[in-house]
Amino acid sequence: MALIVFNSVCKAYSGQTALHDFSLSVEPGQRVAILGPSGCGKTTVLRLLAGFIAPDAGTISIDGQTVANNGEILQQPEQRHVGMMFQDLALWPHLTVAGNLEFGLRAQGISKAERTQRINEILELVEMDTYLHTRPAQLSGGQQQRVALARALVLQPKALLMDEPLSNLDEELNRRLRQELLRLHAQLGFTLLYVTHDRAEATEIGTNIVCMRQGRVERIASAKEFSTGQQADIHRYELE
Amino acid sequence: MFARSLTVNGAFSLENYQHLLETGRSWHLLTNSLALALATALISTLVGLPLGLLFAKTDLPLRRVFVLLFALPLVIPPYITAVSWVDTLAPHGLASRFFGEATAQVASRLLFGLPGCVLVLTTTFMPVVMLATITFVRTINPRLEEAARLSARPLRVLSGITVPLIWPGVLLAATLVFLLALGEFGVPTFLRYPVFAVESFTQFTISYNFGAATAAAVPLALLTFLILGIEWFALRERIRALRPARDDDTYLVPSRSYRVPLFALVSILCALVVMMPLLSLLVQAGSAQSYVHAFRVVNDSLMRSIFLAAVGATALTVLGFFVGYLIHTRALSIWRAVDAGTVLLFALPGTVIGMGLIALWNRPMTNFIYATPLIILFGYLAQYTALTGRVTVAGLGLVPASMEEAAASAGASWMRRLGLIVLPLVTHALITGWLIAYIFCLRDTGISMLVYPPGYDTLPVRIFTLMANGAPSLIAAACVLMIAATVLPLLGVAALMRTQRRRSWR
Repeated sequence: MALIVFNSVCKAYSGQTALHDFSLSVEPGQRVAILGPSGCGKTTVLRLLAGFIAPDAGTISIDGQTVANNGEILQQPEQRHVGMMFQDLALWPHLTVAGNLEFGLRAQGISKAERTQRINEILELVEMDTYLHTRPAQLSGGQQQRVALARALVLQPKALLMDEPLSNLDEELNRRLRQELLRLHAQLGFTLLYVTHDRAEATEIGTNIVCMRQGRVERIASAKEFSTGQQADIHRYELE
Repeated sequence: MFARSLTVNGAFSLENYQHLLETGRSWHLLTNSLALALATALISTLVGLPLGLLFAKTDLPLRRVFVLLFALPLVIPPYITAVSWVDTLAPHGLASRFFGEATAQVASRLLFGLPGCVLVLTTTFMPVVMLATITFVRTINPRLEEAARLSARPLRVLSGITVPLIWPGVLLAATLVFLLALGEFGVPTFLRYPVFAVESFTQFTISYNFGAATAAAVPLALLTFLILGIEWFALRERIRALRPARDDDTYLVPSRSYRVPLFALVSILCALVVMMPLLSLLVQAGSAQSYVHAFRVVNDSLMRSIFLAAVGATALTVLGFFVGYLIHTRALSIWRAVDAGTVLLFALPGTVIGMGLIALWNRPMTNFIYATPLIILFGYLAQYTALTGRVTVAGLGLVPASMEEAAASAGASWMRRLGLIVLPLVTHALITGWLIAYIFCLRDTGISMLVYPPGYDTLPVRIFTLMANGAPSLIAAACVLMIAATVLPLLGVAALMRTQRRRSWR
């Protein structure tokens, strides 16, 4: 059974169409890269799935449960069990690394002992276990990315949503973090929806690539199919 | 001013301070002043913070109307609010009609003293915390709250993320309320609660003992220095980190099933603390004849007040623009001193600034300033530049530095860049600054009361004088005229701004 299902979803902002008749099905453990130029509706897909906005029409389901339907949010963001990593990371500046990770666990009513254990485990996985009491502003860009990733994963979400999280990094750091993300995926097996406008990033991270244009799905292909064919289309994205 | 407090009959002497400390009255005044300022700041924060959050973060119906209504007492002189409360709790006032005479009598007894002063000053200054909360909430990157919403309910997000992020700003607003309440003399005078500001004012106006008056003002100035110093070191950099977010991107909490009870609660609070006192003034004023009579009595000072406030606001907008530009760009090394200086002058009680102005300008050589309304304008410039300066800084914060840099690289001189690029981009902030300055100049009592030349009293001063022996209906009608003089121009300018904004959208 598919973990995430978008069924004919439409969304407009102040009369401007962001998504039109968008349908997508994601299997558990799958890595899906959503690729497209700026303003094509990629981020809207993630925000709808997270529950920050409601679709104007269509249905969204997570793990067999309808979470939004025709303009109505049926499940609030905290009930959907999805993690998200934002483009600007959105680390809470007034909390330490541990505080950033603990906030969600505490809100979910997880015991102190389990909170500590989970925080230590995930920080060890992202190699940030020595920075427990450091504030985000004192970390480098790459370290902040790892903390943001750890914060999203510590809640053991059904799906991890990533909104161009590596776009502000230099090429070398970007490459290293992509590899780490794949390593973590192999270890933890979470379902991943990764939004990007970068072809190389999409083909490296996604097992499946969803190409979007002007609020519609233009094409869905496996990474292999995508990197071998349709070069002309791909170049079009880069130009835009 | 400080130097004058150290002289008696032209010779150096500590007699004024000795007298101040010996009587034991000073400690009483200090305790009273601190109790009033602390209670006002605390209650204003406890009420203003939730109200600000409610209006900025939820979809509560009519929230913009509520913001305007709750902010109304801030734009009128506090002693007018005190008059309206006295009218409300009078034997046949509105309170006795609604809650029974016995309740009104108890409340009326409490009004004269600390509880009454706290009530009036909280009503007046609570909007400072409320408006600061609304402003600072808009500086939060909505992604920070959305990240929290993925795992927590809206209330937890508010308490765990939103409030801690704006806390430095809220503390700053609370500090400001503390200082404003500390320096307020009109309300404690009217409600007979002895504090340092009243003592200083009384020494000056009744005993005409300049030395004793300035000595009584020094503790206020020292407290202001101390608190601003703490604020400077503890909060300033953290407040600078708050930057405006995109206006259309604010994260709102749906009020859902709480909507009706919250709306009812806010409506009741608004009716009790804002509408009822204002309504009492209207009831007390009575017929149209009272207004005609009041207009005859105060029309010269009303016109003078409006004129001085308009000229003062214009001068303050110009000065504030340059001060704000200097603070924003940090172009000269003195920016920090200018910033601290304007804030200090704003925080000082008006009576202290008034005495300082008298000490400085009361000389034969500068009589053309001291004996004319220019001295009032100088007072406005001294006390309120921080307001227009701060608004300009906020406006400039929204303009990318690249705008001016692009003009510079195109070869435009500094004046050209300022006039053709920067000024047009901050017009909105300048109009807002002008409006705020107009309100504060018009409602000013502390400075005007001390420095106005004979025959040049402003409306707040005239009403304050009338309160000593005027008929209650005359005072109430004059207060309503004062409120109208403040609110009507504001509504006019707001309507003009709205029309212009609509035109620019087309």
